[in-house]
Amino acid sequence: MIPVELGTEKIGKLLKQYATPAIIAMLATSLYNMVDSIFIGQGVGPMAISGLAVTFPLMNIAVAFGTLVGVGASTLVSILLGQQDYKLANRVLGNVVILNVAIGIFVTILSLVFMDPILYFFGASENTITYAREYMVIIMGGNIISHLYHGLNSVLRSSGRPRLAMNATILAVVLNTILDPLFIFAFKMGIQGAAIATVLAQIVALVWVTRLLMDRSHVLHFSRDCFRFDWKIAWRSLSIGMSPFLMNIASCFVVILINNQLKRYGGDLAIGAYGITNRIGFFFFTISMGLNQGMQPIAGYNFGARNWERVKSVLRLTIMCSMIAMSLGFIVAVTIPGVAVSLFTHDPELKAIAARACSITLLMFPIVGFQAVVTNFFQCVGYVGRAIFLSLSRQLLFLIPFLALFPLFLGLDGVWWSLPASDAVSSIVAFFMMRRLMRNFGKNEKPVLENA
Amino acid sequence: MDDKVLITVGRQIGSGGLQVARLVATEFGVEVYDKNLLMLTAKESGLAPEIFSERDEKRSALGRFARFIGIRGSVYADTGAYSDTGNLSGDDLFALQSNVIKTIAEKGSGVFVGRAADYVLRDNPRLMSVFITADTEDRIAMVMEREHLSEAEAARFIADADRKRASYYNYYTFKTWGDGASYDICLNTSRFGLETTAELIARMYRQCRF
Repeated sequence: MIPVELGTEKIGKLLKQYATPAIIAMLATSLYNMVDSIFIGQGVGPMAISGLAVTFPLMNIAVAFGTLVGVGASTLVSILLGQQDYKLANRVLGNVVILNVAIGIFVTILSLVFMDPILYFFGASENTITYAREYMVIIMGGNIISHLYHGLNSVLRSSGRPRLAMNATILAVVLNTILDPLFIFAFKMGIQGAAIATVLAQIVALVWVTRLLMDRSHVLHFSRDCFRFDWKIAWRSLSIGMSPFLMNIASCFVVILINNQLKRYGGDLAIGAYGITNRIGFFFFTISMGLNQGMQPIAGYNFGARNWERVKSVLRLTIMCSMIAMSLGFIVAVTIPGVAVSLFTHDPELKAIAARACSITLLMFPIVGFQAVVTNFFQCVGYVGRAIFLSLSRQLLFLIPFLALFPLFLGLDGVWWSLPASDAVSSIVAFFMMRRLMRNFGKNEKPVLENA
Repeated sequence: MDDKVLITVGRQIGSGGLQVARLVATEFGVEVYDKNLLMLTAKESGLAPEIFSERDEKRSALGRFARFIGIRGSVYADTGAYSDTGNLSGDDLFALQSNVIKTIAEKGSGVFVGRAADYVLRDNPRLMSVFITADTEDRIAMVMEREHLSEAEAARFIADADRKRASYYNYYTFKTWGDGASYDICLNTSRFGLETTAELIARMYRQCRF
């Protein structure tokens, strides 16, 4: 539902109100990924961190399959709850479980059977494959848990209990942070310990979410007859979820390309270094993403209400905050890359490569802060095509040619430089697209919100 | 509140459903709600009316494409995070409009045309839902006259409009648009003519067991 206060309350207050929970949830997710990297880097060694970095695309693909169900189902649930169609909403809930288990089993079997070829394709080598495999076999073994947890948590969120959903995420992060050192250091289980800790944390979070969804006092809850498979629900969920799924797959594809270029020009440690910088960069990027999520309803509503001044002012404020957050990342990368990197490793060689990678790849972060907000803005006011173009331009369209060309002249540095170069070009494109939109603001009274 | 009149009219394009709805409403002396619902919803929500009319009962090809490739989830695919977007989407507008329909139905009477109102009001005890059809030739003739189209164009126009209405209805209701089992009555105006159809509906409503 759209609260009308979006059109009247002070922009700064609204943004704070909407962005804060989003930022917290985003940071929790980012920390979740970071914790494993830190403990594995510190407790197991530099090759292990490279092995872990090789698994990122595979983990993301697994998550993408989970999103395929989760996003669609939570959209359906919120539509149905809006219509007080509780019976059908509960049926969707039951079908989330069925679909997640079915897809989860499919992904698990496929990835376990083809584990080695997949990991080699994603950039593993003889030195790193053992670590990657040890980690991934356990993670993929717990894949169904992970799918169910993510899927049910997003349904929980859309059923009007975002705070509880956020708590579940935080619970998983905290548990993982406690269990990681326990299994890696105390039980001396190495990289497998980190994987076990991750799966255990998700099991607990899943149990907690499931318990919340058993609560019969809430309209959305499990019941015996909600577990009947429904083609219509399945098809609808999957077709809605197809979009984020494809975007996720596209970005995994890019990481695979990057990993392979890194392996070719810099070897295993370069992949590990990328894993580290990726984690660092992503930490700051999540703040921007949280801000973006907070901006969406505010910009969307006021755009719909044709209140241009408010649209502009929320846009301006979000861009400013996002650029500040991303600039923090930039400052860290340029001034103290060694310190940031030493969170993850003490190996001097890996540290040197990672510090250099960090100081190059995060160079354009301040303007990426701008680009990300603009991309998101185009999406939430309905210029979906442009939003997708902008998003793909940074991660795919400009990146791939740079990634292919730069290393020919610069070697390993070329791989690093391709990232900020792509950031820069796509930010420039975003700037011009934004300027054109701003010029036409208010002049063009034709409705522009595409049906979605 | 036993004298409350609530009728929803779903209709194929070119079937004369709107005229029938108007005749029924006149018969009972109540309001017809069709496109004016959009204005009411806009006023209620503070949003500009045209953003509703653009989406009104249409789930455009572009929108469907956009839905397919990216609007739903986060554009930032590298997150692996499940985003819960707060976009002002067709779903929100449908929810707003549904609330307006429900409020009207709670307060008084009305004949509602389209907008999946039969689904929105399905739990209202005073509701009778109607679906109006007509033979294809009659629909083509009507659309040709109203939209000033050739026969072939009108046929295409009809196919297109039917598809859009079905897609809108099916998306939000989980039912099948135009499926007899979804409605209390289905009437073909080619059989009865507009006036008689309206009379029949009015008579049936009076005899309806609620």
